[in-house]
Amino acid sequence: MSRIIVVTSGKGGVGKTTCTANIGMALARRNHRVAVVDADFGLRNLDLLLGLENRIVYTAIEVLTGECRLEQALVKDKRQPNLALLPAAQNRTKDAVTPEQMKQVVDEIAKSYDYVLIDSPAGIEMGFKNAVASAHEALVMTTPEIAAVRDADRVVGLLEANDIRKMHLIINRLRPAMVQQDMMMSVKDVQEILAIPLIGVIPDDEKVIISTNRGEPLVLSPNISLAGIAFNNIVRRLEGETIPFLDLTAAHDDLFTRIRRMFRNRN
Amino acid sequence: MTSDSSAPASVSAISPVTADTTAHLQVRFKTESGRLLLLLPPEDATASGWADVLQQLKHRLNSGDRFWQPYTAVHLVARDRLLDVRQLQTIADTLTPYQLQLKRVYTSRRQTAIAAVTIGYSVEQHVPIAHLNPPTEAGQALADPLYLQTTVRSGVEIRHPGTVVILGDVNPGSSVVADGDVIIWGTLRGVAQAGAAGNSRSLIMALRMEPTQIRIATQVARAPETPPTQYYPEVAYVSSEGIRIARASEFSKARLLPQPT
Ligand SMILES: Nc1ncnc2c1ncn2[C@@H]1O[C@H](COP(=O)(O)OP(=O)(O)O)[C@@H](O)[C@H]1O
Ligand SMILES: [Mg+2]
Repeated sequence: MSRIIVVTSGKGGVGKTTCTANIGMALARRNHRVAVVDADFGLRNLDLLLGLENRIVYTAIEVLTGECRLEQALVKDKRQPNLALLPAAQNRTKDAVTPEQMKQVVDEIAKSYDYVLIDSPAGIEMGFKNAVASAHEALVMTTPEIAAVRDADRVVGLLEANDIRKMHLIINRLRPAMVQQDMMMSVKDVQEILAIPLIGVIPDDEKVIISTNRGEPLVLSPNISLAGIAFNNIVRRLEGETIPFLDLTAAHDDLFTRIRRMFRNRN
Repeated sequence: MTSDSSAPASVSAISPVTADTTAHLQVRFKTESGRLLLLLPPEDATASGWADVLQQLKHRLNSGDRFWQPYTAVHLVARDRLLDVRQLQTIADTLTPYQLQLKRVYTSRRQTAIAAVTIGYSVEQHVPIAHLNPPTEAGQALADPLYLQTTVRSGVEIRHPGTVVILGDVNPGSSVVADGDVIIWGTLRGVAQAGAAGNSRSLIMALRMEPTQIRIATQVARAPETPPTQYYPEVAYVSSEGIRIARASEFSKARLLPQPT
């Protein structure tokens, strides 16, 4: 059976779309058939991140109105034939689609793909309901900020109410140096509030922004960055592997342990 | 919150809470001579739209998981709510995974009664007034304690006309409002209100007190600007100078042991 996973957060700008693109691509590279679905109607940008914008002909709306078949709307990635995108409509309001319709389309996609990843919009209104309607599991994203964590907590409650019990937490844009100076919530702080299993921590990394602008997911880059490794690790954990979490503070720890050793040797 | 009961928490008075009990009733389970009653809030209660009712029901079921006995018959007390066939079916379906079976429906609405009969539940159209409409005079007894094993998450509000016990954390952005005490076997980070109907002898207890705000009867206290370096189980109570917080160990000693003279 295919896995239908919604990527959601409550708050906007925390990295849902970035994450959907990278996880989708990484899964496809591991030889799974993957469809990524943009459920952010009105503000679509999953196509941009994947560099597929100029190949969109139809969207989910045309599928629903019967103007085209599902296969016609799905955009195949030219770099990675295992990956397909179902684009959202740009010009319609988010209320143009109901959760029932969304479920119908996603269930149809699930028949021929191993993974369906749904990129959800910000908020907890209709767009959110559309995105979660057919999901079996969820990746809850947050950044280590109070407001983002509060919204993620809200979303976890709503997912539970929608009978989505399988949830994993992704903490994005962590800045270890700031955490060490007590200026940013730590992974532990976030986990303590949200109390769902952690599946990945992604460092704040300017390479993410560069890859966003190029329409080229990080996980494709030949000399892979720390953030890229973090995405790959999430995918491996999704598939049941036990992968230790990256030590994002390694550089600092080295320095500290070195200093400590220095002092100890003096005594 | 400070652990030192001699250090004042920031205190101010608020306008007395209106003791309008029906206005904030939520979905609630109650056992009565071996039967499990499912009480729905009346139609005019705040936050009692169908979506709210369903969400509260799921939340209560989820948070009481360990206590439900298989094949318990559930008697639905629908009060004056209009429920159609689809809604009654949804309630029954929501109970099923917990092995609870909807058997009987109490209602004061003819349409609800007809809908219930249509899908095969026994119906009583005359509500047993005694345990459904709480007496309006003063001196009203509290409801049985509400025990929930759950994380109370942002956006959720738990209200109960009695004592509330939460086995889990109460997160920022959520609130627990009780006419009796609030006992949190976990961390309190949200808002807690005890004695919401006016009883200033009510208490708020938490293994770890980091509340956004606490209220007891008409008193309000906020957390101090600088968080303490260490946390202990604490009890908040109303003293002559407003809300005080004491370490749980010292609070019970002070109450139970004779004071040294
Ligand atoms: N780990 C990261 N490091 C640096 N920038 C990031 C990171 N994750 C996301 N971003 C940037 O944050 C912005 C918002 O990301 P996006 O994925 O569009 O969020 P959402 O879909 O949740 O609104 C983008 O400009 C993206 O490049
Ligand atoms: Mg987005």
